[in-house]
Amino acid sequence: MTLLRPRLISSRNGLRPGTQNNHWTRLFLFILIGLVFWIGAFLVFYRILTYFQSVQDFGDILAMKLLSMMIITFFALLLFSSIINNLSHLYLSRDLPLLHSMPVGIRDIFLSRWLGAAFDSSWMVIAFSLPVFLSYGLVYKAGIVFYLIAFIAVICMCLIAAAISSLVVLLGAAMLPAGKIRTLFVILGVLLAVLLVIVLRMIRPEQLVNPDSFASVVLYLNSMQALSLPYLPTTWITDTVQFALKRDWTHSIFNLALSASCVFSLIFINGMAASAIYFRGFSRAQTTAKRLFAPLKFRGHSWESLLNFLSRPAKAFAVKEIRSFFRDSTQWPQLFLICALIIVYLYNFSVLPLDRSPIKTIYLQNVFSFLNVGLAAFVLSAIAARFVFPAVSMEGEAFWIIQAAPVSIKTFLWIKFFLYYMPLLILSETLIVASNLLLGVTPFMMFLSILTIFCLVPAVVALAVGLGARYPDFKSENPAMSVTSFGGVLFMLLSFGLIALVIILEAGPVYRIFMSRMLGYSFSLMQILWFALSFAFALILCIFTVFYPMKLGEIYLMKR
Amino acid sequence: MIKLKDLTKDYGTTLAVNHLSLDVAAGEIYGFIGPNGAGKTTTIRMMGGIIEPTAGSITIAGIDIKKDPVAAKKIIGFVPDRPFLYEKLTGLEFLKFIADLYQVEELHLLRKSEDLLKQFALWEWADEIIEAYSHGMKQRLIISAALLHDPKVLVIDEPMVGLDPEAVRMVKDILKRLAAQNVTVFVSTHTLSLAEDLCDRIGVIHKGTLLAQGTVAELNLAAKTGEARLEEVFLTLVREA
Repeated sequence: MTLLRPRLISSRNGLRPGTQNNHWTRLFLFILIGLVFWIGAFLVFYRILTYFQSVQDFGDILAMKLLSMMIITFFALLLFSSIINNLSHLYLSRDLPLLHSMPVGIRDIFLSRWLGAAFDSSWMVIAFSLPVFLSYGLVYKAGIVFYLIAFIAVICMCLIAAAISSLVVLLGAAMLPAGKIRTLFVILGVLLAVLLVIVLRMIRPEQLVNPDSFASVVLYLNSMQALSLPYLPTTWITDTVQFALKRDWTHSIFNLALSASCVFSLIFINGMAASAIYFRGFSRAQTTAKRLFAPLKFRGHSWESLLNFLSRPAKAFAVKEIRSFFRDSTQWPQLFLICALIIVYLYNFSVLPLDRSPIKTIYLQNVFSFLNVGLAAFVLSAIAARFVFPAVSMEGEAFWIIQAAPVSIKTFLWIKFFLYYMPLLILSETLIVASNLLLGVTPFMMFLSILTIFCLVPAVVALAVGLGARYPDFKSENPAMSVTSFGGVLFMLLSFGLIALVIILEAGPVYRIFMSRMLGYSFSLMQILWFALSFAFALILCIFTVFYPMKLGEIYLMKR
Repeated sequence: MIKLKDLTKDYGTTLAVNHLSLDVAAGEIYGFIGPNGAGKTTTIRMMGGIIEPTAGSITIAGIDIKKDPVAAKKIIGFVPDRPFLYEKLTGLEFLKFIADLYQVEELHLLRKSEDLLKQFALWEWADEIIEAYSHGMKQRLIISAALLHDPKVLVIDEPMVGLDPEAVRMVKDILKRLAAQNVTVFVSTHTLSLAEDLCDRIGVIHKGTLLAQGTVAELNLAAKTGEARLEEVFLTLVREA
């Protein structure tokens, strides 16, 4: 407990009034957003379960299958996040050298760090599994004991995942430096997730809920009642909850006891393994990783010469940014994720069953095209939140170099803006053009989509750079996580707000213009004025969003 | 060459620097000493254009840093107290980055980088990623980067922290040679023997105020300590403040 005290005290001190990173506003914002998601998840699950209840004969099977799928998903998520957290907490945190210099047993150090890692990787799963169990409890009219058992079962599941992960990490770190294992796990994990998402999309799981697409009900039921392995912890957890729902307390508690004994055994094994190999791995983690790739050169020219059209400071920043990005292996998985996102995005448009809809195809195609602008802009926002918002914070403690250099903060921020603006513009326009081609929209919609995205990209990028500069975190161990900070959340909210406003401003005129083309009527002067004002206001909004946040960021960085 | 006039920095809860005024001539090595929290680093960071003064002015070679920070920074070489760098770049790439920011002539850049890295015993590590460097190596790399654009003024905060004895001797020799070439050196340090050995004049700062400045003899006069060593003078001045 003594070893956990610095962490607890730091969290408490963060809530003190007057501290620079006052956590109260952040906490309030998080609770608010969390609550929205929480209520949303509850409503969705409650709706699904009530629908299942209405399906005769196999409604129960569907509900239980969903529960088992949820638990397996939670467990897989927990395993993955526990591995990353255990690596950081046990081998890579900055305070570890101090901790290891103290007269404390290696087992105690391990256990305190393990508990921290288990908490960090589990709290979100625990929080978001509660609406799932609440909806099950309400639909099945379970008593208070069900909630208690479900809660303990979830805690057991988290601890089992954390203990299995730490064992894997302990063994891995004894063989390879921890930095390399993290890279390996992150890349493998993300590749696996990407593959899973693509495969899931390609097999079109939405068809599974449509029993008509099955040859017979028997086949459908068989596929639902897949075998569950009795020796897997997820089976025990699922059984605990399922039996508790059916008020079969004996079987429920038996499975809960199995899970709990598994937790204690794993902790015991972890303790023994830690005594034997934790310190060896920690020592190994202190070595610095070698460069993975040799510098890329073609006939004596390096790739940098491709950027010769930029001014010297701009090129210097671009080269530095690109090098730092590609040499930081933790960034690579993000690229795989973006690729997967784009593939799935475009694939979804290619399989839209427009021809089967009772509404006129051409109308539907263009409605989708308009919605697509908003959707592509939201994707852009998410990418900007992950890559552009932390761009200023990524300078880290080396920001003094920029401050001391003969380059103004304004120039620095605009260079950052253009560095991200160009690739994001190309990405967004490709996305919108490709999806519009797949939809087969009218030239007017194509032109409007391209133009809207052309105006939205600089606005979203500038908002991300500007707010990233207004709320920088130069001391973070992982600046990419700054998207979960107050500034990051504010960026997401403002960015979504901006996109929604632009779409709303365009929606009315676009609908009128489109209908006039379909039905062949002309516009009154007032209508033309309304169109002009709407488009002009959307444009002004975008221009304002390009310049104002950048100015805010510049003023803040100069004053700090 | 360096002129600070009524320089003040108020953090709201702390008055870090209080109406500080001083002049440093071209080619002079000026030592800045004071206890922890005296305002040395804040002063140096204001001189490097890293933080904005609350009041007062800083003039470097006749350029007001507030009015034209970019022009002033072009002639300053700045070395902070902690060697934070872009860890994913190699030593040579970092120097190239700095050269591009300071618009150093490209023609001789490679040669100059090589000379500096050899001078600071880093040439063998030139193509290694900075995260593999030790604290002392990073410190040496920062000093070589600060010299890359031939600054007229060198502002250094705690130059010897983390350096081995050989590197300390090397840095001392380099600073003396630069001063002989008319480069102005403003150095803050806790190592009083270094200040005594290296600096033409020394300023003693305490609680944001300049207590005294001058040669060691002049400081002795101010502290009425006879011919005592700098350590004794410093302790007397701070105690009586």
